[in-house]
Amino acid sequence: MIYVNDLRKEFKKTIKEPGLKGSLKALFKPNNEIITAVDSITFHVPKGEILGFIGPNGAGKSTVIKMLTGILTPTSGTCEINGYIPQKNRQKYVKEIGVVFGQRTQLWWDLALRETYSVLKEIYDVPDAEFKSRMAFLNEVLELDDFISSPVRTLSLGQRMRADIAASLLHNPKVLFLDEPTIGLDVVVKDNIRNAIQKINAEEGTTVILTTHDLADIELLCNRIVMIDKGKKVFDGQISELKREFGQMRDLHFELTHTDDFDKLVYLEDFKVTQDDVEIKNEGASVSVRFNSDKISVEDMLSYTLAKVHVKDINVKDADIEEIIRRLYKREVSIDEV
Amino acid sequence: MGRMFRLHRIFVAQYMKNLMEYKVDFLTGAISFLIGQIVQIATIGIIFSQIPDLEGWGFNEILFIYGFSLIPKGIDHLLFDNLWSVGYFIVRKGDFDKYLTRPINSLFYVIAEKFCVDAFGELFMGIVLIVYSLIQLKLTLTWYMIPLFIVAVVFATLIYTALKIGTSAIAFWTKASGHITHMVYMTNDFSKYPTTIYNKVVRTLITYVIPFAFTAYYPASYFLGKGEPLFCIGGTVIAAVVLMFISVCIWNRGIKAYESAGS
Amino acid sequence: MKFKKFMRTYRPFTRAGMLESVAYRANFICFLLGEIMSCFIMFFVWKAVFNSTSGQDFMGFSMNDMVVYLFITFLTGYLTYSDGTYAIATEIRDGSIAMRMIKPCSFDMCFLFQELGNKIFNVLVIFTPIVVGVEAYKWVITGSCQFNVVNFLLYVVSLILAYLISFYFNVSYGFMAFYLKNLWGADILKECIVNFLSGATIPLAFMPPFLASVLSFLPFSSLSYTPVMIYMGMYSPFEIVYKMLFQVFWLAVMILISKLVWRHAVKRLCSQGG
Repeated sequence: MIYVNDLRKEFKKTIKEPGLKGSLKALFKPNNEIITAVDSITFHVPKGEILGFIGPNGAGKSTVIKMLTGILTPTSGTCEINGYIPQKNRQKYVKEIGVVFGQRTQLWWDLALRETYSVLKEIYDVPDAEFKSRMAFLNEVLELDDFISSPVRTLSLGQRMRADIAASLLHNPKVLFLDEPTIGLDVVVKDNIRNAIQKINAEEGTTVILTTHDLADIELLCNRIVMIDKGKKVFDGQISELKREFGQMRDLHFELTHTDDFDKLVYLEDFKVTQDDVEIKNEGASVSVRFNSDKISVEDMLSYTLAKVHVKDINVKDADIEEIIRRLYKREVSIDEV
Repeated sequence: MGRMFRLHRIFVAQYMKNLMEYKVDFLTGAISFLIGQIVQIATIGIIFSQIPDLEGWGFNEILFIYGFSLIPKGIDHLLFDNLWSVGYFIVRKGDFDKYLTRPINSLFYVIAEKFCVDAFGELFMGIVLIVYSLIQLKLTLTWYMIPLFIVAVVFATLIYTALKIGTSAIAFWTKASGHITHMVYMTNDFSKYPTTIYNKVVRTLITYVIPFAFTAYYPASYFLGKGEPLFCIGGTVIAAVVLMFISVCIWNRGIKAYESAGS
Repeated sequence: MKFKKFMRTYRPFTRAGMLESVAYRANFICFLLGEIMSCFIMFFVWKAVFNSTSGQDFMGFSMNDMVVYLFITFLTGYLTYSDGTYAIATEIRDGSIAMRMIKPCSFDMCFLFQELGNKIFNVLVIFTPIVVGVEAYKWVITGSCQFNVVNFLLYVVSLILAYLISFYFNVSYGFMAFYLKNLWGADILKECIVNFLSGATIPLAFMPPFLASVLSFLPFSSLSYTPVMIYMGMYSPFEIVYKMLFQVFWLAVMILISKLVWRHAVKRLCSQGG
């Protein structure tokens, strides 16, 4: 369905030194630098999958999406979607895809929402009958009825996003690109949008490529994630794989019976590990220890703790996905491990 | 082609709906451009109150050339105004993304999206001046002048549009090019007067480099019976076709260099 | 002491304006070239006019005077140009004018100093070449240096007064432009009318006598015609004093109007909740 091969994008950037002096210098001798925003990325998405595309700010996610949607021309490498090369048969190709950029709207700002859809109907050449049934379906999934007659500028952010997603689905695209569709939305609206995406994916088999910073989106929606950082792919696989590979950090929580006992716990010295592998926090009687289960087994950890101190309550938790990703973003987990 | 006209009609219809909400906006725009023209004509009037003719051109002839210049300028302003936005901010802000994710030609989409009714001020004044000066001059028009007039106006409009397309496409490389469009566009004022009053450098510039002379003076002088039809009308057609070809090439290459913006 | 504090508060605005103008220098230069085109058009038109008249003079102006008039008017127009209309109308529209209210400085001074910073670069690029060019032209035509230092200095004073009038006029007009909705149209409307009424399009002396005398009493002639006439040495010492006092009078009126307008804008913001 989607084949991305060795995709690369470079930008030229003018470096300007700060202050007036810098501006004057740039006037006579502009200083250019080539920046590689996307560096040899390869991946493949089968039909009907929901792929989560994640990475820290400035990692190059949007640049990849923009190349896949035909907006940017790659410096080198290829992408092929449904047999089309986006930049080559652009007008034909974009009929097969829907695009939502969460940060900007494609709706006609001053017109009633309904009008946007009738203009899009013409742009995409959707036949009347199909348009009717399509609108009915989108209405049901995204609940547009309440505000379809209001001018777009009066819509709330949540309504606008629903309207934008509907706009991108009007022509029944085979692939849907969503660039941060839940940005700035409240919990309830996020839920609605996720449900809608799931429903559309399930009922129509639409392939979805999603970028987001909200990891709940990823956990609830995506079968698979591709993570990029500084333009390079750093992870590609199932979420469970991610957990298996990078989820070695565990959290141990307990309540001390005697608060003074805390000083007896000297994990670092007794296990001969560094602070990278064991991290201790305490607040009165309550203590939490984050430890690397590759270095210290859960069993050793528990027996050591129980031998040293009296506790009221004790439990061990898996690191959650957010923690894993935080560590990946901060480069605590090296790329070589992938 | 048929689909394009249909789409354009729909865009215009949507735009007009929009406009009804902003009546004050429309009136301000149209009246502003109208008054702008009146002030310029008053200037010409004051000058001519002191002299019998300007290097062989009478007041009414000058008014005819001036009025003629407003018609292609106004039509371009009416239909192709959104090109200014391309050079000033659409590309810089990354809003051009939108035009590339639609299954219609991006240039057509940008152009069709906006319809600038401010231009009615110019068009109205242009027609008034042409009609007034023709009556004053008592010119006899033959039937074939009407199709020739339409041809001249259409291609003269395309000269304006082509220059705007070409210069605004520069923004795909430089992010913003509205000021370049402005610089080129401003030379159009030269075409409101007979080129005979200029020196050779200016004459060459506005005939062969930025051929604005073909948007008013040359075709108008033919209708005033002072110019060769082959050069005056034919030149307009050729200039428009050549410029349009170059501009569309620049535009198409520019799209490939487009860098979008932000995240 | 007070002055020092004043400068410390507003110098950053000047600096920001300067940086802005340097950053957009290419735009500025292209824009300038586009605008100066109209000067050359009028140059050729006037040349043709002088060719078509029988005498040497056209209503008291020689061709030489006309050239000086055209370019010095252009220069004056450019230097007294103020962006207040657009900036203020936009800020009222999108509500960002509220940001000016929470800053511990007066709104007009912020604008003014930012714009002055913007002008520094522009003055360097445009002022010297045009003045030198015009003086060189006169030298070549008449065969002797005609530069009059006193007139020049008086011109600079009058120019500064003209800029301040223009600034406060634009601030006030910006508020009205907000009501006209179409900012671009409103701006064009203002430009055309002001250019005509101020004598920038055509010298007031060429206009029908009644119109000319009415226009000379309106504030617009203070914007362009007065400084240009001073530069050209067309006024007697008595006239110069009289015209400059007139400029001061209109400046005071414009400041007053802009204050009233600002107070109104604040009220409107408060009642609307920004």
